[in-house]
Amino acid sequence: MSQIQVELQDQPFSPLSAPATRRGIKVPAWIVLLLKNPKGRVGLAIVLGIALLAVISPLIADPASATNFSFATRLAPTWHHLFGTTDQGEDVWAGVVVGARRSLATGFLVALLATGLAATLGITAAYVGGIVDDVISLVTSVVFVIPTVPLLIDVTAFLHQRGMTTMILVVGFTIWAFEARILRGQALTLKNRDFIQAAKVSGESTWRIVFGELMPNMISRIAAAFVLVFYIAIIIEAGLEFLGLGDSAKASWGVSLYWATVNSSVLQGEWWSFLFPGLAIGITVLGLTLVLAGIDEVSNPRLRGIPTRRALLLRRRGPA
Amino acid sequence: MRWFLRRLAFYVFAVWLALTLTFLLPRLMPGNPVGGLLQHLSPSQIQANPGIIATYEKLLGGNHESIPTAYWQYLGHVVHLNFGISTSNYPAKVSEVVGRTLPYSIALVGIAFVLAFVLGTAVGTVAAWRRGGGFDTFFVPLFLTLGAFPAYFTALLIVYFVGLKLGWFPFQHAYSTDVTPGLHWNFISSAIQHGILPALVIVLAYAGGWVLNMRTVMINTIGEDYVTMAQAKGLKDRRVMLRYAARNAILPPLNGFAPQFATAVGGVIFVELVFSYPGAGFTLQQAALGNDYPLTQALLLVFAICPIVAMFLTDLANLVLDPRVRTA
Repeated sequence: MSQIQVELQDQPFSPLSAPATRRGIKVPAWIVLLLKNPKGRVGLAIVLGIALLAVISPLIADPASATNFSFATRLAPTWHHLFGTTDQGEDVWAGVVVGARRSLATGFLVALLATGLAATLGITAAYVGGIVDDVISLVTSVVFVIPTVPLLIDVTAFLHQRGMTTMILVVGFTIWAFEARILRGQALTLKNRDFIQAAKVSGESTWRIVFGELMPNMISRIAAAFVLVFYIAIIIEAGLEFLGLGDSAKASWGVSLYWATVNSSVLQGEWWSFLFPGLAIGITVLGLTLVLAGIDEVSNPRLRGIPTRRALLLRRRGPA
Repeated sequence: MRWFLRRLAFYVFAVWLALTLTFLLPRLMPGNPVGGLLQHLSPSQIQANPGIIATYEKLLGGNHESIPTAYWQYLGHVVHLNFGISTSNYPAKVSEVVGRTLPYSIALVGIAFVLAFVLGTAVGTVAAWRRGGGFDTFFVPLFLTLGAFPAYFTALLIVYFVGLKLGWFPFQHAYSTDVTPGLHWNFISSAIQHGILPALVIVLAYAGGWVLNMRTVMINTIGEDYVTMAQAKGLKDRRVMLRYAARNAILPPLNGFAPQFATAVGGVIFVELVFSYPGAGFTLQQAALGNDYPLTQALLLVFAICPIVAMFLTDLANLVLDPRVRTA
């Protein structure tokens, strides 16, 4: 799980107008800022590249060869089989690009579910305060310390039903907690702003303030939290599949790794059967980490390459 | 003191919740534990022994009590560490299986995770102190990339390249088959050798997070006036870095230790699986796939309690390091 501290500074708010009303065709300023940041740019390029591969996968690989057995088994990468073939003769390249669809979609939907839960609970807790905050925070911190993977192993094993929907629901409902904690902290800094107070005084309901005022104004922070959960979801989901708790008949990165270990390809020296699906996960996660690091740098100028007083001082003295 | 009582209340609540969760989970799910035991028998065996299902139900404690009664019984059993019989290791008791496998995991995770924390924060400290320098531009992206690889993938890579191709260290099981476990040098040296690669995976997979976290906090701390002041006083660079900046910057990463530990405990399951390391994680995976309800229940409880214990220890460390906590 990431250690990146998501601390976003949005543009300063003009006191009484909620910037949220200016949504629409205009690209939000923070996305423009993110694109100007080198890490953010590289990260976005990686993630979009992988997503593109997933979308056009039927054009560049035969989806059937990803899961169908053939007699061309254990082939090292060649021009015909770019990433080689598995013990059962499945094409690894097809497995990786077709599997990207399932892996990315599952991760995305998990992140969507978890972020929805986290934003609702975290922001409500921060805004309402009092006993509601106490209860939500207590639940959050308890869910936070319960180890997700063992819990998921138990739940998926007991459910005897392995599919994408089960996976999304189970993972989504267990990994929202740390995100809720981050968002709660950030909502706390917003809740005393003038425009929130103005909405309150004008008699807006709590739900309207939470969903209509606070949430739109935290959209960049929620987006950062979403990226964080997205990549954790990809790792966890692929991990569960790797343990054999997913739907092992469908192609996905985790399932490819699962078959690679079950057929002990590693011990037989068939490095291609686990290297490429694993790299696919690693590169996607790296891309998302870079996006996060970019968001971090955009929001926290101290992390950017701008020389600080101390750096200047050091430069004059030479490296300490 | 008030702070301490609040934390204590939280721990009690968390442990209670872990107990309740492990109690309710199997009961909320479809299927039942007897099924796990019956899997080991052929249909003809079951037909030949009409009473066998009832016998097994009785053996496993049955499911005939009402939920509240069963709950009280469960709590009583937990106090006596009586989790019933492991159906996949029949007739071994669950507590025996846990007792046999848990020490391996605790030793492996405990040592490797603390190493990852120390290494990560040290690299983060130096990287932030000499930001933009060679150390920073080389090690930070390196650890970032390593951290992006899920633990199970790093494990596969290391098994293949270091274990299989280079053959530097053994990469299967926790000790050689020709030694018997016990407190003698043969076993200990064999266990250490077998532990090196799994530990390396954990360090590589988890150090990256600490590097980034420590670097971020440290860069913010370096901007503080007291650090500039310490430098202006002409104190030695190393002293300012460690005693002034790093000591203050370590608190947020330290507070993240317990939640990180909760995720690491999960990651260890993957590492143990790849290395066929006979720890609690490997056992949990086997038990879950084998429908061994009593064993999964007990192991989930163990996995849930570990981070709570880690959290308690970080609280104690906080008491030592942060004077504000002591007065609160």
